[in-house]
Amino acid sequence: MIKTILELIRNLFKKPMTVRFPHEQIEMPEGFRGEHAYEIDKCISCGLCCKICPNRAIEMIDAPQKDRDKYPKTYPRIDLGKCCFCGFCEDICPTDALKLTKNVYLSTFDSESVIKEPIEK
Amino acid sequence: MSEKNPTAYELLFGPAHPGSGNFSVRLKVEGEEVTSARADPGYLHRGFEKLMEYRNRMQNSILSDRVCVFEALNWNLIHAQAVDELTGEDIPEKARYIRVLMAELSRIQSHLIWYGATSMGLGFDTGFKVAFGYRDYILDIFELVTGGRVYPAGYICPGGVRRDLPDSAKDKIRGVLGKTREMLRKCESFEKTTLQYRTKGVGILDRGDALRLGATGPIARASGVSSDVRSDDPYEIYPELDFEIPVRDEGDAYARCIVGRQEIRESIKIVEQVLERMPEGKLDPIKPKLANKIPEGEVYVRNEIARGEAGIYMKSIGEESPYRCKIRGPSLLHMIPVLEHLLKGAQIADVPAIYWSLNICPADMDR
Repeated sequence: MIKTILELIRNLFKKPMTVRFPHEQIEMPEGFRGEHAYEIDKCISCGLCCKICPNRAIEMIDAPQKDRDKYPKTYPRIDLGKCCFCGFCEDICPTDALKLTKNVYLSTFDSESVIKEPIEK
Repeated sequence: MSEKNPTAYELLFGPAHPGSGNFSVRLKVEGEEVTSARADPGYLHRGFEKLMEYRNRMQNSILSDRVCVFEALNWNLIHAQAVDELTGEDIPEKARYIRVLMAELSRIQSHLIWYGATSMGLGFDTGFKVAFGYRDYILDIFELVTGGRVYPAGYICPGGVRRDLPDSAKDKIRGVLGKTREMLRKCESFEKTTLQYRTKGVGILDRGDALRLGATGPIARASGVSSDVRSDDPYEIYPELDFEIPVRDEGDAYARCIVGRQEIRESIKIVEQVLERMPEGKLDPIKPKLANKIPEGEVYVRNEIARGEAGIYMKSIGEESPYRCKIRGPSLLHMIPVLEHLLKGAQIADVPAIYWSLNICPADMDR
């Protein structure tokens, strides 16, 4: 019982283990696997990301009609709803066109917004 | 309720019970006493064994994360070892050290969950919050090393590890070990308040029953069976490390809790040794490849994970994906024969203590 009371007194002078989230945030380390960042100009349309994706979350699609002159090949469309954030697409990309960022704030009420188009419509 | 005996009825424990984790036990009760229990598994079947037959080795190591959420790195290691044994690939020395380091950290956090879940089941909320709070420090390490807090995404993969340990990791891990020791001191200081009263002398599994029913890991060790794959059939760098196997003879729920806690101490010792002896130098990251065939053959690999003995049987016919992959989780035998045996004759109030003290995870049983 004495041990318990000592432990209680010790805890009175300690900082809490949690942070006050919206005001304070814990910094993400380098190499965190979050939302994808895609640079279409670096992409060579090899389709390796689509082939390695374990959840088949990446699909190679044509560019929208208005951009088809500039981008005539197929480009990856990523379904974040299916993605498991393994980072294989980043590892296999030969030109570093696809990278994972530290953004984890991906909750949404809109089911359309989980699909990342290669070019904004 | 039966017509002859108005105090006899059937009671369902789970699957919607908080903490029972998608698993149900049907209890036949007479008054306060459980006369028989029947485990009712199958709520968490995801079909990993079949899915693995359609994916290549790197994609399968991602799947192996999810066999048991709380022991993702240990399952990564077993899968990687099975593939490595088939390919006969040489693993760099440093990668072997990192593998053991991560597996031991994973074991510590799994034992913390066990302690937390047992406390929660007994209505001892302080223990639950303290254990889960300190577990988060270990998750911070996982985040730094693997890039994800809970799912390492196949960090321990066939051929080594996906990337080298960051420079700051060693100091951070040492800091976390200090915090874990602090947590153990806290647990010891307040266990008499609730934990000991609710678990001592409850759910006694004697040595003969433990062997007969196929208990492994801490459950068997709490019943006086000294068996541990790390020392009986060593893998990776375990033969070079110095650690003890905690064994107790009581076989009750309290002994199981104590064995779990002593194992955390042993794991801390292992992690310290690994950090001290870790070879210098840079490790090349392993990138996923397409058309990477697994040579023909079959293999069975077993490992000691926090809950007991786990294994993978893998057969390959020389294709990219394995022909068959059988997963042996430690929870199956603990959840069905051992649990049913222990619940028979127990009081209703003791059911949570028995259930959570067995450290069971429906995820690795249903797969």
